[in-house]
Amino acid sequence: MIWVTWRRHRAQIVVTAGLLALLGALLLGSAVEAGRYVAEHAAPGCPGPGVTCGDLAVALERRYDAVYSVFGWMPLVAPALIGAFWGAPLLGREYERGTHRLAWTQSVSVRRWLLVELSVLGGAVVAGGLLLSLMVSLWRPVFRAGVDSTFGNIGVFNMVGVAPAVWWLYAFALGTAAGALFRRTLPAMALVVAGVTVTMFTMFQLSDHYAEPARAELSGTVVLDDPDARLVGGAWVEPSGREVAEPSGSGCPRQVDAGRSEKNARTWEECLFGKGYRYAVYYHPPSRFWRFQWTEAGILTLASVVLGGLAARRVLRRPG
Amino acid sequence: MTPALEVTGLAVRYRRTWVLRDCSLSVPTGRVAALVGPNGAGKTTLMHATVGLLRPARGRVRVAGEVAFVAQDKPLYDDFSVAETLTFGRRMNRRWDGAAAADRLAELGIPLKRKVGGLSGGQRAQVAVTLALARRPDLLVLDEPLANLDPLARHDVMRSIMAEVAGGELTVLLSSHVVSDLEETCDWLVVLNEGRPQVSGDIEELLDGHLVLTGPGEASAATAQVVSASRTGRQVGMLVRGAPPLDPRWRARRPGLEELVMAYLRSPESAALPRPVEASA
Repeated sequence: MIWVTWRRHRAQIVVTAGLLALLGALLLGSAVEAGRYVAEHAAPGCPGPGVTCGDLAVALERRYDAVYSVFGWMPLVAPALIGAFWGAPLLGREYERGTHRLAWTQSVSVRRWLLVELSVLGGAVVAGGLLLSLMVSLWRPVFRAGVDSTFGNIGVFNMVGVAPAVWWLYAFALGTAAGALFRRTLPAMALVVAGVTVTMFTMFQLSDHYAEPARAELSGTVVLDDPDARLVGGAWVEPSGREVAEPSGSGCPRQVDAGRSEKNARTWEECLFGKGYRYAVYYHPPSRFWRFQWTEAGILTLASVVLGGLAARRVLRRPG
Repeated sequence: MTPALEVTGLAVRYRRTWVLRDCSLSVPTGRVAALVGPNGAGKTTLMHATVGLLRPARGRVRVAGEVAFVAQDKPLYDDFSVAETLTFGRRMNRRWDGAAAADRLAELGIPLKRKVGGLSGGQRAQVAVTLALARRPDLLVLDEPLANLDPLARHDVMRSIMAEVAGGELTVLLSSHVVSDLEETCDWLVVLNEGRPQVSGDIEELLDGHLVLTGPGEASAATAQVVSASRTGRQVGMLVRGAPPLDPRWRARRPGLEELVMAYLRSPESAALPRPVEASA
């Protein structure tokens, strides 16, 4: 039975493995080149947070961005592709070519057929996602020593840890369920792309609520000194301690900035701080990385199980 | 002896329409049964219920032993080679006679390396039938096995199946809406009409038990049960079941299979079914 699964899906498996290998080669090449550059150009103590390391940091940043632009779309596109080419055809193509009547009338029961297909392909998809995560996690520190952004940047967050694996699994399950629903590959593919996109933006919104945000009161600035934190919101705190969205009656003149200048806003903020106002920031600190990873993993895994169950139920109710 | 296939009180519904209603029939072991009926009579549904592709709303289907199925249009994986198709069969089944399958295909001149998608219609049908036969089934169910085949391929496919039947205990149930295809090969007949079996029985006995009568319209056919009648001018032609009538003006002869089937399909209220057997449960 596993041979049958492999034979039916070997095109997807080979192409996915090939693309991962290609990406791996690209990352490896870029990391090796960057390592050589660092060895040749780095001043003592660099890379690091020191002032003398600025030029090196900029050069590395440029290299990082060049490669990142190639696969920065991956958190969204990779799951969409997995759903469209692994999930949607799993049942959709079987139905539209009538081969379900061949596959499901052999001695192997439909239940077992489903179990093997879903677990083997689901397992492969999870393995692929973890491999991507591993490669990205090994590659990024070469450029980003000391400046991490795996938590604050939601795109990067979804490329490391267990996120790629659960996103791929979710897309695969969604595609399988769509294939069972439509009994056609193409509409199932369309639904997967739309579904993954909607889910991703929903999860972006939802992720603010994975934990109670931390609160910090700032004075003299409205910017939190942690580039990797995820900001949830902010508010002014009156000298009395009352939190308000917009300070009123503070006596500070407020003028609208022209163009992209922030001069007037700054002046107004400084005036407020001068009068004893403080600025409260609500945020998630980067230490919550794994908590957020596992929360997202839990939600998506549960959704995958439900979708897989729906697909199986639909198939078992009326296999023909 | 237990029948190879026994269907009791089967009812299947698609959404709100009943495709099969109160469908009971049985096919004895070793028979080649023809399942005929107009399009939409429920032939495919009955076969799908037999092979487990759908769950009936009521009733049940009992098959003695293993059942193999060749669906309409002979679904096979087009991107598999013939050899891989055989591997598929071996991996997906408990019983598998790979040597016999390879021999059959060699005999038919179908190359194992050829992609299934590149086979002719006749070769494809032969591969599908080979795949089913290699499972050494007790019951082989074929849904329109001869549709879309040229006359030569029809003959070859039927001959392959008949060779297997001659060899052992295999029972075959095959559907067709072309009765003439079945005349020489089948020895059991099931006529399905509007979701119910109308005729079920041994073909020879059925033909022996019916008469085609032609005579003047006023003649009486009192002793016979009229299945269907048609009038052309002053002549009446009818198909009757039972003893020949006493009125000497009738000319009687034995019907052909096609005539028998047509007569029943024209009058859905007539039926020729074995007397209901007491439920064995």
